[in-house]
Amino acid sequence: MSERALPRSPLPTGRVSRSALAYGAIGLAGFALFTVSQFRPALMPLWGPFEFSWWEYLAAALATYWYACGLASAKDRPSLWRQAGFFVGLLLIYGSLQTHFDYAAQHLFALNRAQQILVHDLGPFLLALSAPATTIATGTPGWVRACAGSRAARAVLDLLARPVVASLLFVGVFYFWLIPPIHFHAMLDARLYEVMNASMVLDGLLFWLMVLDPRPQPPARWSIATRAGMAFGVMTPQTLLGAVVTLAPRELYPSYTLCGRLFPIDAMTDQHLGGLVSWIPPLLITAAAVLILLWRVMRNSDTAHPDIQRSAR
Amino acid sequence: MMLTRRGLLRLGGALGAACLAGCGDRQRWHALDIAGTLPPLQFQMTRARDQRLVSERDYRGQIVALYFGYTFCPDLCPTTLANLASVLQGMGNEAQRVAVLFVTVDPERDTLPVLASYVRDFAPEIDGLRGTPDQLTALARRYRVAFSVTPRTNDRPYEVDHSSAIYVFDGARSARLLVASLSTSAPDLEGTRSDLARLAHEQAPSGILAWLRDAV
Repeated sequence: MSERALPRSPLPTGRVSRSALAYGAIGLAGFALFTVSQFRPALMPLWGPFEFSWWEYLAAALATYWYACGLASAKDRPSLWRQAGFFVGLLLIYGSLQTHFDYAAQHLFALNRAQQILVHDLGPFLLALSAPATTIATGTPGWVRACAGSRAARAVLDLLARPVVASLLFVGVFYFWLIPPIHFHAMLDARLYEVMNASMVLDGLLFWLMVLDPRPQPPARWSIATRAGMAFGVMTPQTLLGAVVTLAPRELYPSYTLCGRLFPIDAMTDQHLGGLVSWIPPLLITAAAVLILLWRVMRNSDTAHPDIQRSAR
Repeated sequence: MMLTRRGLLRLGGALGAACLAGCGDRQRWHALDIAGTLPPLQFQMTRARDQRLVSERDYRGQIVALYFGYTFCPDLCPTTLANLASVLQGMGNEAQRVAVLFVTVDPERDTLPVLASYVRDFAPEIDGLRGTPDQLTALARRYRVAFSVTPRTNDRPYEVDHSSAIYVFDGARSARLLVASLSTSAPDLEGTRSDLARLAHEQAPSGILAWLRDAV
């Protein structure tokens, strides 16, 4: 992104030093986590990262900070339920990637599946349900908003945020990382592992922010019926994948056997469990989305959340 | 039409065979080829035999077989180490280019003398390594190894879980193979021997790239 004339932040100038302090604290805390993870990994508590990632840490920390700033300066705050949805969704994503749960997920297929469903389905689902766009946008510094509103960012979003493209990506990304040789590589190569996690989070956010957009159609680009169709459409491929993995007669993902399992359970038991985890919870979440959309239609959706503007994600 | 289809099939078959032959000049390994996935060998631990702090630099130019276990291990570790020892024996003089590193995942009980006398019984090429908790965690994390030690309680015996595969690195420290069969009841001794010999015969990289790699 090129440097552009930046719109001034709406925050009063007295806040500048406070925000500098906050960014400093975020940086310092990140550096502390990085240092311990790198040089004294045995000292890291269980709530700390098993493998520290600057990307994952900064994304979670900045989203929290900007949302909190938005809450502090918003005229009408989102309800406590929506605030809770945001923080719980974010915590689920961050917690399943940047705590020692990640170690467990690297060493048991069923837990790997649970992790991937938390970061691709449940976490983004709750985040999207909280409709955080306005609040985050209020708390975000001007230059970040300028980047998010730039022509390049809009072009990418225009391309991806179409019902067919987003649905195909939602199913495709989930399938892609379960292709056995690709899964094997991702579980051994730490760089690919990070790419996998990032792609799952972004893909989940794209899909659920579109499907659960609380605004009626004129500001929202797609009708509720279309979006209910998206959620409905991914249910069949989700079922198919869950069934294939659960019922596969042989071991598909040998990396867990080779590198060792978290506790001694049989490879096929682990795979059956992992298949069920990939089968039932995503299906329930998608069904919940369909129900929520139906409910919105029934209680006349144009009265819903008039305060929410176009989601910028 | 039938003929054309058959012709096409034949053409396809010939092309497939040519491709296989083309890719086949790199003949297949007996163990699992993991080139390009795991990072190059790097560690710091204390070597049991001379109680020295060693790192990957002490094994420069050697084929390294890295294995995680513990001396109280009832079945997996002795089977694997005994099989490795017989593979090394089958290699004759070439075994000198191979170093087996046995990393204990139970440093509490595996003191350096215990570890040294344990590995000495299997083969002289096997080095026992013991790390601090930080050194062990870093190495296990680097190679995605699961390990856990659950001290004995009243109703549970002392339990240690660990990975069963052997990680093989070439003379340039790159991760190359995962050997999984040596802990099983059908160990591929001959396959492992020929894989290790083949790695030992590979031309070590030379020139500026190798120099850079060693400097890092």
